[in-house]
Amino acid sequence: MTGTLDDNRTPFGRNPRHFGIDPDEPWPDDVPMDQDDTRWRYQGDPKGAKKAERRIAAAWTVTLLASMGLAAVYVDGANTQLAGLCWGLAFGGLGVGLILWARDLMPGHDVIASRGHHNVSSEADRVAVAESLGRGLDPMARRPFLFKMLGAVGGVFGLAIAFPIASLGPRPHRNLYKTAWGKGVRAVTLEGKPIRPSELPVNGILTVFPETDPSDALSPTLLINLGDADYETPPERVGWNIPIDGKTGIVAISKICTHAGCPASLYNVVTHQLVCPCHYSTFDVLQLCKPIFGPAARGLPQLPIAVDAQGFIVAQADYSRAGGAPVGPGFWNRG
Amino acid sequence: MSTTEERIAAQKRYRAAKAGTDTVDERLGSSKFLTSVLDKIFPDHWSFMVGEIAMDSLIVLIVTGIYLALFYVPSSKEVVYAPTSGHVYIPLVGQKMSEAYESVINLSFNVRFGLIMRQAHHWAALIFLAAVFFHMARIFFTGAFRKPREINWIIGLLLWQIVALEGFTGYSLPDDLLSGTGLRVIYSIIESIPFVGTWLVYALWGGRFPGTSLIPRLFVVHEFLFPLLIIGLLTAHLMILWHQKHTDFPGPGKTETNIRGSRIWPQYALKAGGLMMLVSSVIFLLAGFVQINPVWIYGPYQPYTVSAGAQPDWYLGWQDGAVRLWPHWEFRSFGHEIANPFFPGLLLPGILLSIMFAWPWIDKKIYKDYKAHNLLDRPRDKPFRTGVGAAAVTLFSLLTMASGTDIIANNLHVSYEAIVVALDYLVIIGPVVAFIIAYKACQRLQEADFHPIQRPVGGVIYRTPDGGYHTVGDVHHGPSHDAPADTSASHGAGDNGDGGAGSGSERSVSAPAAGD
Amino acid sequence: MIMRLIKKLRSNRLLIGPAVLFGVALVAFSVLTLTQSTAKAQEALVSTNPNDIAAGAVLYSEHCQSCHGYEGEGGVVSGAPSLVDKGAAAADFYLTTGRMPLNAANNEALRHHTIFTPTQIRQLVAYINALPQITGKGGSGPTIPTVEPLCSNQGTLAAQSEKGCVTLSEGQQLFSINCAECHQAAGSGNILSNGNVIPSLNNASLTQVAEAPLVGPKPMPIFTELSNAQISAIARYVVYLHHAPNPGGFAIGRIGPVAEGFVAILGGFCLLWFAARMIGNRG
Repeated sequence: MTGTLDDNRTPFGRNPRHFGIDPDEPWPDDVPMDQDDTRWRYQGDPKGAKKAERRIAAAWTVTLLASMGLAAVYVDGANTQLAGLCWGLAFGGLGVGLILWARDLMPGHDVIASRGHHNVSSEADRVAVAESLGRGLDPMARRPFLFKMLGAVGGVFGLAIAFPIASLGPRPHRNLYKTAWGKGVRAVTLEGKPIRPSELPVNGILTVFPETDPSDALSPTLLINLGDADYETPPERVGWNIPIDGKTGIVAISKICTHAGCPASLYNVVTHQLVCPCHYSTFDVLQLCKPIFGPAARGLPQLPIAVDAQGFIVAQADYSRAGGAPVGPGFWNRG
Repeated sequence: MSTTEERIAAQKRYRAAKAGTDTVDERLGSSKFLTSVLDKIFPDHWSFMVGEIAMDSLIVLIVTGIYLALFYVPSSKEVVYAPTSGHVYIPLVGQKMSEAYESVINLSFNVRFGLIMRQAHHWAALIFLAAVFFHMARIFFTGAFRKPREINWIIGLLLWQIVALEGFTGYSLPDDLLSGTGLRVIYSIIESIPFVGTWLVYALWGGRFPGTSLIPRLFVVHEFLFPLLIIGLLTAHLMILWHQKHTDFPGPGKTETNIRGSRIWPQYALKAGGLMMLVSSVIFLLAGFVQINPVWIYGPYQPYTVSAGAQPDWYLGWQDGAVRLWPHWEFRSFGHEIANPFFPGLLLPGILLSIMFAWPWIDKKIYKDYKAHNLLDRPRDKPFRTGVGAAAVTLFSLLTMASGTDIIANNLHVSYEAIVVALDYLVIIGPVVAFIIAYKACQRLQEADFHPIQRPVGGVIYRTPDGGYHTVGDVHHGPSHDAPADTSASHGAGDNGDGGAGSGSERSVSAPAAGD
Repeated sequence: MIMRLIKKLRSNRLLIGPAVLFGVALVAFSVLTLTQSTAKAQEALVSTNPNDIAAGAVLYSEHCQSCHGYEGEGGVVSGAPSLVDKGAAAADFYLTTGRMPLNAANNEALRHHTIFTPTQIRQLVAYINALPQITGKGGSGPTIPTVEPLCSNQGTLAAQSEKGCVTLSEGQQLFSINCAECHQAAGSGNILSNGNVIPSLNNASLTQVAEAPLVGPKPMPIFTELSNAQISAIARYVVYLHHAPNPGGFAIGRIGPVAEGFVAILGGFCLLWFAARMIGNRG
């Protein structure tokens, strides 16, 4: 036991080496089961037994009443609370009765028996099984080529029969790079109404969808009117917003969080931050929506928008085609 | 005491019972097996019943689940909610929703006892997982995973994982706002797996999120695949337990090679049945009085909506918490990317689980103990293991807490940023502190207390039928003053039916520190 | 109420029969009353009575002017915004929810007990509403919205196309897409970045809910792109949530899985834990 952790320290300063079963330790013979476990709690106490019987009967009467109540509750429209009360009382009465019956009127005391040898077989049995196994292993070992080939064939065939799995879904290709936005696609509201820049007030926020395919799950976009807030615009993003009165105006930002794909749409107009309620990634809208807190590693992509001839807000291009990143969380083949 | 009539009645009963078992025996040869079943000795320490609570919850889950499946429609087909008869949930009338969500709404409002069955199913799942966690902790802290029970530890861990996934798939089936949000997060986590993630997620969902293939597939997984695995593994779990016989705490008269407890029939069986009824009772009382997952409030899932307070059920909270706390890492090179959710969502749980799977062997190395054991360790006797367990429980609790950062922040009136930063530090420091405290506490407890197996226990002497004497237990240390003076074996046995009261008097003489 | 009744029932089982009937009747009654549209009488609109405006001016100078400046021109030192173009909706919202007056200018404006009587609020609102005319500058802000009533035939699809009234269904959808991300699906509130509070909507009145999207009480954004009907629908739905039936029992705050987990472990499992302790051997 040297070198082990000093966990077995005892007041006796002695390691309990006899803990655990040595393989060669003899097991005691089966302890005879003549031990008296026929006594029960109220044995020889008829009064107590009678009382116990009454207690059990009372518990089961509760079950009886609750069962009848259940029928009444069902007929009366099945109120959930009353049903729960009846179910609970019915099960509870049954359980309490059973437990009391076992405790008070059923025989059963601790007895001691050998665990027996059931867990481990005798040496003779172990030898026998190894020999039986050898009956097949030896001929196999004599044909190493066949043995190896079986392995190889099994592997190839195993791959082949995995092909049905490929039918479960299409291959991704570059599908995750695309949303339904594109040049000239109008931004519409939930009701399918196109939006004019003037409809969105300063500090207003609106979820919009591409008119061509409003149900596309990667496309939901937030229009935010930043008013005169100081929006950081790098050269490649100049002209992506719709200025109002010469101020920053409206920007369009993907609603799909770049962390785990939830709609990142808790907007704090004081700090111009967008928060995702799934894992509380926080993005600073004024700094190109870059993540400033939480697990997200990338900013929310920005959609370039413009106003069409009718005065409605449209996209200039899809997110990724405009030089932005694909929308949503990362994936292995995201270049 | 027994009158003649009573004796005649008893003989009649015996004959009827024998006729019954004979009928079976003539077909199956089952009498020897049945005797071993009825006479099986089970130690009935209360902590061994936590696993039973889990099993009983599972039975409630299966029964209520079958009922729910009779009403649930696993379909993503878009329908408009406009019931023409029965109770109508007005705030949803005219809304587009999946057929699955509609069927859950109808089940909740238009099926008598449908709502209570749904709530019982959900509460049973939460209680099931709680029992699984406590059962697992009991096994760990008492060293019940040691040889020869490593296989059952592995099966148990597998069961825990499958059961948690089963819970998640169930949470996702109603297709309400919360379940859709959960699926979106899982999609992102699977998507982030290196090499295969994108393809795997396309195979599972049949394309881009959310698609229309997933709900029917989830139904197959939740209704067929996982239940099959759970029942199969649980059967193995119980058969192995049965074969190996239950472990027991050390105590007077108990050795590695004997077992002490009451026989299954009739007392233990009735008590187990009673406990099952109590489990059902608690579940149904909760189902009747506490509303769980009001899907009609959340509304149907739409990819563009979300609700604050989007959390998974509590047993997946630790994984969600890890995802919330993880630093904003993301690795990109050679045109590929390992996205952030992979590390906390899969890598960290993978590492923690690997350690847990390997723990029986790690434990052997630590304690240089390769022997088989039937007696449990008291947690205090293995400070290192107990320390590791305390650290794990602390880590798990803190991560689970992290899943509710927003709720905690809102209730404490501090910013969630502060809570997240505090938890970031705590998940590192907390487990270490917990380890040290547990380790020291174990050492102090050891010094303050005798080990039951090292006290002069004296053993128990039995008289064999032919008049000889037979000793069970350690008789080498000290005088056997607490061995029963008369040789009746039952004298050494506690009154298990009465719990502490009966056994206390016997142990007050000999074993002030028996058991744990 | 039903719960308490049932609690009592458990202690006195003799009353089960009558109480069951009574309970069922009670539930049926409450379901009926709650699902019926309760279009209240429209609250008073903004007063243009000169007396009210004059009284409002006095109240303004006592309680508001130190921060918001003379005639609502805004405070230079305090940084308080100008009130000239804020409109009656903002005044009514901030005053009836007790967000104003603030103790200190840099405090977060949160819901409090209001210090003004309804009459005083009416007078102050009249004054703020009249500020564009008094000062002669600034366009007028949103006025207190007239919340449209609920349609009477809401349970049917026909209600969706009806004019002049709103449905809870519209409200639920608009609430989901515009409000639930912050205020939570059941309006229980949450937290925003920088510790900014997202208030629970459990105490908000119909008018207040309708005003908030027009006013945009910071850190909340403004939703004036929503039509009056849409805002009415949201307000009706939020108020519906206050008394929405919880057929499943105690709602435990309707805050979702965190509360449910607590109840399952502390309420459900611990009860069974004690049961196991009582049944099993404690040696």
